[in-house]
Amino acid sequence: MEGMSYQRFPKIKIREMKDEYMKFELRETDVSMANALRRIMIAEVPTIAIELVEIEVNSTVLNDEFLAHRLGLVPLTSDRAMGMRFSRDCDACDGDGQCEYCSVEFHLSVRCDQDQTLDVTSADLLSADPSVVPVDVANAARSASFDSSENKGIIIVKLRRGQELRLRAIARKGIGKDHAKWSPTATVTFMYEPDIHINEDMMASLTLEEKLSWIESSPTKVFDIDPNTQQVIVVDPEAYTYDDEVIKKAEAMGKPGLVEITGREDSFIFTVESTGAVKASQIVLNAIEVLKQKLDAVRLSEDTEEADDQFGELGAHMRGG
Amino acid sequence: MNAPQRYERFVLPEGTKKVSYERDTKIINAATFTIEREDHTVGNVLRMQLHRDENVLFAGYKLPHPLQYKIQVRVQTTSQSSPMQAYNQAINDLDKELSHLKSAIESEVEMMKP
Repeated sequence: MEGMSYQRFPKIKIREMKDEYMKFELRETDVSMANALRRIMIAEVPTIAIELVEIEVNSTVLNDEFLAHRLGLVPLTSDRAMGMRFSRDCDACDGDGQCEYCSVEFHLSVRCDQDQTLDVTSADLLSADPSVVPVDVANAARSASFDSSENKGIIIVKLRRGQELRLRAIARKGIGKDHAKWSPTATVTFMYEPDIHINEDMMASLTLEEKLSWIESSPTKVFDIDPNTQQVIVVDPEAYTYDDEVIKKAEAMGKPGLVEITGREDSFIFTVESTGAVKASQIVLNAIEVLKQKLDAVRLSEDTEEADDQFGELGAHMRGG
Repeated sequence: MNAPQRYERFVLPEGTKKVSYERDTKIINAATFTIEREDHTVGNVLRMQLHRDENVLFAGYKLPHPLQYKIQVRVQTTSQSSPMQAYNQAINDLDKELSHLKSAIESEVEMMKP
């Protein structure tokens, strides 16, 4: 039996791809793989977020820990994260987690000297590493056409005359499992691709009014009437939410079996929404890489296998003798 | 104040083995793999991959307690194979599947770029 392989060759088709959004089809694999990827994208793809805040001066209306929490939630561009070290297993710095391999330093210093309230925003966070900056700042820098009066950054606190905020913050690599601030995704979903079969003979026995009321019973626009032939057609199978409304309606009309809808259990439609920390397409690739690493880590170690071989021989000996 | 550290959910404590293997004492070709600091993400893919192996008579996993960060994967095979062989095979196949998936996505992403 050695050399036998039960490997699958999944297929991928990207439907839509933007920096912060992606929709794709995953085929010829099963739910366990789809769900593992979804779980990893949400909770185990690393990003960078502020983890430690040293406050020097804070005369604002918000207390120190409130500010530290708000700073932690600011999404930072994290293309570096996959190559970075977790500060807990970084050996370049002796446990304080403040070296270039595992952390990025930020400074913020704002004082209000005017009568108008002054907003302290993510744009006031000055990074020691130009590749790790707040996501909205990076977006504004990338597109010059971006209306800067519209986008003032993420407000951290507002200051009135005489108030001041001065602090130093350390951002580190982390995963969503530790704290949601490290999750690179806003939402990740997948659904089975629906297979919709209309019983055409039974459908033909319906009057136009009956057809229309049946179509109306679906909360989403899945079916419609062909204006030429007046037949019911499926316009958007993926709009179906597995709500069973049309099936119940058909039964109520005395036409059970009018339509049969099943989910294709080997085809999935994924949507990935990014916070902007990592590109949506990169999140998917990183998730695959993370799952590979996890599987590698759960391989049996050599000594476990050897110990069992000996045990096996001994066992066979005992059984045989 | 005495709350456990959040990282305890996914950082293997020093001196602990990631995977331990225990043969069943009563049933031949059956064993339990205890995997530390893993959850449904790995447990379920492993189980489903083991089901694809025709020499596997039984494969199941459980998360014994939500605050014990480990899973147990139980495997029983025919005499043609062994739990260890099936387990290694499952990981190898999953690894190859993911490599395939990775290159498939990479080429798709490349095509989508203008």
